[in-house]
Amino acid sequence: MPYLYNTPEDQRAMLEAIGCASIDALFDTIPEELRLNRPLDLPPAMGELELTRHITELAAQNLSSESADCFLGAGSYDHFIPAVVDYVASRGEFYTSYTPYQAEVSQGNLQAMFEYQSMICELTGMDVSNQSLYDGGTAAVEAVLMSMDVTRRHGEVIVAQSVHPEYRQILDTYLTSLPTKVVSVGCPKGTIDREEFAEALGEDTACVLLQQPNFFGCLEEVRELAEQTHAAGALLVVVVDPISLGLLERPGEYGADIVVAEGQSLGTPMQYGGPYLGIMACREAFVRRLPGRIAGQTVDRRGKRCWVLTLQTREQHIRRDKATSNICTNQGLFALRASVYLAAMGPEGLRDVAGLCLQKAAYARESFANLERFEPAFDAPVFKEFVLRDRQNRVDQLLTDAESAGILAGVPLGRWYPELSDCLLVAVTEKRTRSQIDRLVDFVAEDSKDKAPLHA
Amino acid sequence: MRNKQATRLLLELSEPGRRGAVLPECDVPCQHLENLVPDRFLATSVPNLPEVTEPEVVRHYANLSTLNMSVDTHFYPLGSCTMKYNPKRNERLAAFPGIVDVHPYQSDRSLQGLLRLFYELQQILAEISGLGAVSLQPAAGAHGEMAALMVAAAYFRDQGESRNKVLTPDSAHGTNPASAKMCGFESVTVKSTPQGFVDMDDLRSKLDETVAVFMITNPNTLGLFEHNVAAIAEEVHARGGLIYLDGANMNAILGITRPGDFGADMMHFNPHKTFSGPHGGGGPGAGPIAVTEKLGDYLPVPIVVKKNSPDGPFFQLEFDRPRSIGRVRSFFGNCGVLVRAYCYLLTHGGAGLRRVAENAVLNANYLLSRVKHFLPVPQGESCMHEFVASAAELKQDRGIAAMDLAKRLLDYGVHAPTVYFPLTVKEAIMIEPTETESRETLDHFAEILFRIIDEPVDLLHEAPHTTGVSRPDEVAAARKPILKWVANNPPT
Repeated sequence: MPYLYNTPEDQRAMLEAIGCASIDALFDTIPEELRLNRPLDLPPAMGELELTRHITELAAQNLSSESADCFLGAGSYDHFIPAVVDYVASRGEFYTSYTPYQAEVSQGNLQAMFEYQSMICELTGMDVSNQSLYDGGTAAVEAVLMSMDVTRRHGEVIVAQSVHPEYRQILDTYLTSLPTKVVSVGCPKGTIDREEFAEALGEDTACVLLQQPNFFGCLEEVRELAEQTHAAGALLVVVVDPISLGLLERPGEYGADIVVAEGQSLGTPMQYGGPYLGIMACREAFVRRLPGRIAGQTVDRRGKRCWVLTLQTREQHIRRDKATSNICTNQGLFALRASVYLAAMGPEGLRDVAGLCLQKAAYARESFANLERFEPAFDAPVFKEFVLRDRQNRVDQLLTDAESAGILAGVPLGRWYPELSDCLLVAVTEKRTRSQIDRLVDFVAEDSKDKAPLHA
Repeated sequence: MRNKQATRLLLELSEPGRRGAVLPECDVPCQHLENLVPDRFLATSVPNLPEVTEPEVVRHYANLSTLNMSVDTHFYPLGSCTMKYNPKRNERLAAFPGIVDVHPYQSDRSLQGLLRLFYELQQILAEISGLGAVSLQPAAGAHGEMAALMVAAAYFRDQGESRNKVLTPDSAHGTNPASAKMCGFESVTVKSTPQGFVDMDDLRSKLDETVAVFMITNPNTLGLFEHNVAAIAEEVHARGGLIYLDGANMNAILGITRPGDFGADMMHFNPHKTFSGPHGGGGPGAGPIAVTEKLGDYLPVPIVVKKNSPDGPFFQLEFDRPRSIGRVRSFFGNCGVLVRAYCYLLTHGGAGLRRVAENAVLNANYLLSRVKHFLPVPQGESCMHEFVASAAELKQDRGIAAMDLAKRLLDYGVHAPTVYFPLTVKEAIMIEPTETESRETLDHFAEILFRIIDEPVDLLHEAPHTTGVSRPDEVAAARKPILKWVANNPPT
């Protein structure tokens, strides 16, 4: 085996030192009748060369954003990743270390985490950030649970239907065993229905969960929604796209109480959905209710500035069932990637990325609107993705055809929104070129010819 | 040799006008911002991120990295965390474009290679666990625990039973009771015997028809195999309850015994531990769970299924599972971690995995045989993959605490073991060498520990002496938290 040291001679000498007759005898404390007295039935062992060949073959069977033009978004995006991000994250001193329990030999990780928290606060306009949660979806759910804790309201939470459908599904799963009710507010025009929203707010509403830009790419009237939420004594939890904050108003400025995000956009590859980065930041007043690890600044016994894990009495390894969450292992390496990404981009770089997404998405949306077959499903302003309605109602066939032509054209919405089964969600990042966008639009135009609409 | 500038913050390196990334010119007709987004949505200023160049970013982080101990650079016997070698081939293979540049909403048709990989991984984990149904979705061990407890809750709801308690041993990881609470269960602690095993009498006194699940870690956190596990399972099952196996310590029993064969109904794996990680400075992990066939219908969606067609097998995500608890995270799972685990498993095969366990246990017992002569190991005539020594006597006799030993070890260039866990051992020092260390390294570690114990007390109280910082003031950090940078806060 490639990673083991012990030769048969080592083993003999070690067994002798232990005073044990054989390797098998080391397992004498396992009752005989519980032992597996056969080899595990697994594929045969492979050397590095065979394994490389095998994975190469498997990888070749997948389309990717390298081999196709990717217009898929919906919470995972094909943004450009500068080489410095990969370089830093591939340093063994970072990726083969663990949670900084021993601060003295983890200052690199701790300082990087402190800087991550700082940059997330700058980006979101919030007071404090933790060191990461699993992903945007679980971060949204943790924020809802935290809101219930902060407000001591457990009756209901309001969730906009324009929040990522999978995030809402996770919330449903987590709340199954708890008494809290989820009140869903519709978005017939792509953004929150204001009347329905006002009616839903009540005195037992712990929080409002909304997304900006929302799942459809549209911008919600967050400032007014924040005012209404606060007037009802509830907290505002906002899911943001961190890239959008290169241009859009920071949530701390329009009244968000807890901000969460899928941090994948910040330097993490799409890798079929994970590992990603759950970002969470909040107002100072709630810091002792935050889930997850937090790095804090202090001084050492010689008075030197340094960093430690802090406020650990919130956590499971101290408080067990009284902890703010069960989270232990987090997404540290991806928080590091986000930090390096933000440092490499800087304020101007981030604004440029956001600007390119905005312009290119607008160009694509208008190009589609010029085709008779398509219309934008919603009128609200969008950031980097938008919903198209297919007047021919052939979304699935279109996507299949486009895929054959090497274009990942969009995400069909019917699986989550039956009323939008003739719609697809198209995302355009800064990586897409004008010629790729034109190719997509031309392909769709060609595909549309001589076809009668399907009727549902 | 150390770069003294390394600990300046990015904020302190920042100079207006510097930048590390230049984006391409816009190649589509550019519109005025306000034509696309009304003013009220726009920020009035750019976020106050640091302004640094690419070389500065690299030097900053390269220097920071040297302030860490890591598996690549140091012996890292952090008990319960299985800090084994992280194979470089796994890093390379997981970064292939057809693996890493794949969008989660691509069609199954466009992902047959990856879905086959995950399907095979499900099969492999089922075989290793002896439990027939697998979900790869949970993002970490604690997340897997929670998902499995939700599975149990859904199962009992379907049975028309209202069971509201989860039992956990007092030696369990803190995640166990925390996960139980998140699923709406009351967490009840079961005592351990002085020998470190589940106290059967205490278990019986707490076991009744309100108990949904008994969560057991086996081998337990003392590194002992719970030899009564089959009897425990029998008693819990007789009362209608389920057994959950915290798989944190699977490294000890790969191919030796299987949770499904010793009575577990559900378990999670920690691929970042058992299947070589890496640990990423705190994460990511993954927390796939395996359950018995009767609980399989309740697993999170989606799972990967194989359909046979005239054109050969077709792998697809199955969402239509009416009894499923639903989703516990977005998208499929922590795929990058799962791909590395798959690579690790294929590198070893069945016989190789057994050798991993054998050598992990051999290394731990060898180290135990050396350490126990000068540092008491209360439960330790022998162990599985780790053992827990105690500095309680040292503390009483000479005022040397487990933390002092841990800090002094750092001076000798090894990472400290886990200290003060499990909670059942006073001044606990939990040592897990793993199988990817040599006998020489283990000898060296034992010698260092032996030497440290005889060192002057003051030297130990003030350790570490050779690291850049020493004994940060944690009390001050928690009393007046400084959790982000502020300007004019120079290093001292």
